[in-house]
Amino acid sequence: MPGLLEEIAYDIGAAWTIARKDMKIYYIKPSILVSSLLFPFVMFLAFAIGREAPAGTLIPGLVAITLLFSASSIEPVSIPIERRTKTFDRLLSAPISVRAIVLGVSLSGAIFASVIGLATTVIGLVALRTGIIYIGLLLLGIVLTSLCFSTMGTLFASYRTENVGEVMSLLNLVRLPLLFISGVFIPISSMPAWGQTIALISPLTYAHDLILFAFNGTTRYGPVADIAVLVLALAVFQIAGALLYQRSRE
Amino acid sequence: MNAIEVIGLTKRFGDNVAVNGINFSVEEGETFGFLGPNGAGKTTTIRMLTGMTRITSGQALIHGHDIVRDTRAAKQLMGIVAETSNVYDELSAWDNIIFSGRLYHLKETEIQRNARDLLETFDLYDRRHDLAESFSKGMKRRLTLAMGLVNRPKVLFLDEPTSGLDVQSRRLIRDVIQDLARENVTILLTTHNIEEANVTCDRVAIINRGIIAGIDAPEKLKQTFESFQSVEVSFDAVRPGIVEALRAFPEATDVRKEGDKFRIYTADPPEILASLCTLAQAQNLRPISVTTRGPTLEEVFVRLTGLPVDRKKEEGESDAGLA
Repeated sequence: MPGLLEEIAYDIGAAWTIARKDMKIYYIKPSILVSSLLFPFVMFLAFAIGREAPAGTLIPGLVAITLLFSASSIEPVSIPIERRTKTFDRLLSAPISVRAIVLGVSLSGAIFASVIGLATTVIGLVALRTGIIYIGLLLLGIVLTSLCFSTMGTLFASYRTENVGEVMSLLNLVRLPLLFISGVFIPISSMPAWGQTIALISPLTYAHDLILFAFNGTTRYGPVADIAVLVLALAVFQIAGALLYQRSRE
Repeated sequence: MNAIEVIGLTKRFGDNVAVNGINFSVEEGETFGFLGPNGAGKTTTIRMLTGMTRITSGQALIHGHDIVRDTRAAKQLMGIVAETSNVYDELSAWDNIIFSGRLYHLKETEIQRNARDLLETFDLYDRRHDLAESFSKGMKRRLTLAMGLVNRPKVLFLDEPTSGLDVQSRRLIRDVIQDLARENVTILLTTHNIEEANVTCDRVAIINRGIIAGIDAPEKLKQTFESFQSVEVSFDAVRPGIVEALRAFPEATDVRKEGDKFRIYTADPPEILASLCTLAQAQNLRPISVTTRGPTLEEVFVRLTGLPVDRKKEEGESDAGLA
């Protein structure tokens, strides 16, 4: 089907154009880079001080949290601002699909988060003198997790407002509980039965499980299931985002 | 084939009907003005025609491409200049135009050539590497227009293109619009500046409360309202009761005092001139200037929309050429 292939190529091209623009405007800024790199360090202090957690368990948790926050933090800011300045109308009026807009906005967040996630990993490995068992799986986990959570951020930003605070409040209502139900702070095996059930619906659970497996070979659900759930969550966020942005064109 | 064909276009926001089943078509190469007060439905119409807002019912075709069913083909032919100068402040003028060109899936060499040409046309080439945030309002407006032209559109939508600009930017943009019209680009512009519509547009649609109240060439619209012809007279002296005496003319439909002049509205200017001579003799007045005028587009607008000029001014249209 050349029509479909042409459509996909067109969407990817448009998404890459938007991603490059967003990287330049929102991500490649000294203040954003510094604060994003400081975030895992602060989390490390909060996370590790006074605890006897081994490096192979500690770093995956830090990386997972870093990916969640760095991937999903800019879209809920950039999109309401672009609505206010009417630059978002440029995207809506261009000959590109809403799918491409959602993908493009998410792609820049994913690239940024992947870089920050990798930097966190490298710093963690050097500082805590530990190693990785499956490097390929770790890289896949970082990229997939980044894309999944950046698309989640884009999805939340579909809420039709020009007020950044409104979107961030909504996002944090979901993002903060994820930290506690996904096995990052409290191992899932230590949770009560209801907690273990809730953990199943959090994409962060599988992201953390996959990264943990890449680091020390331990897993609760298996890497295949982790990857499958992350891909499924990504697809759900992308499709829901495209539908909501389409609907918001009132 | 018409460049723009609009059939029964309607937009509802809940119970509010913003645009109510409007019909019009714009020929290729025509400059078409959409004139109306704030909230009349001008911008909503443009947003529907450009695929930014969903259409409640009706159809809009751009060179035969349905904006809903064949969106990409229709949008590929368009250039859009929004009412707000929506440039990316954090990007340079060059990067703003290049970004716009890439959204239209043009070849990189074509984008760069167009960007260079447009920046030169709009007198921004020397500032191409400066961030747009350092630009004045007029420069941002010119950059917005350049971004709207990067794909060499066949149909250009301009939403209030010169609103609130300095004279230099206003003149430059008007010159570019006229050049585009000569290159057979179809232009649909919304404005509340009646004089701008009068001098720029081949045809004008006057829209009010979501309904097109009149649609024709500016001069033809003026001819529709013969009773809005007027005679303007100024006397060498002011006598009490002169307005009442003028109002007493059987052919006068209205009389207004405008500074040291009196404007007498009539469907029959020659009869008014005759009556003025009689009055001047009777009251020992000497007319120092007498001018007969057809209706202005402003008067047609007032007649068709039912809005008094003062009310429009209150609605923030003081730069609308209504004064």
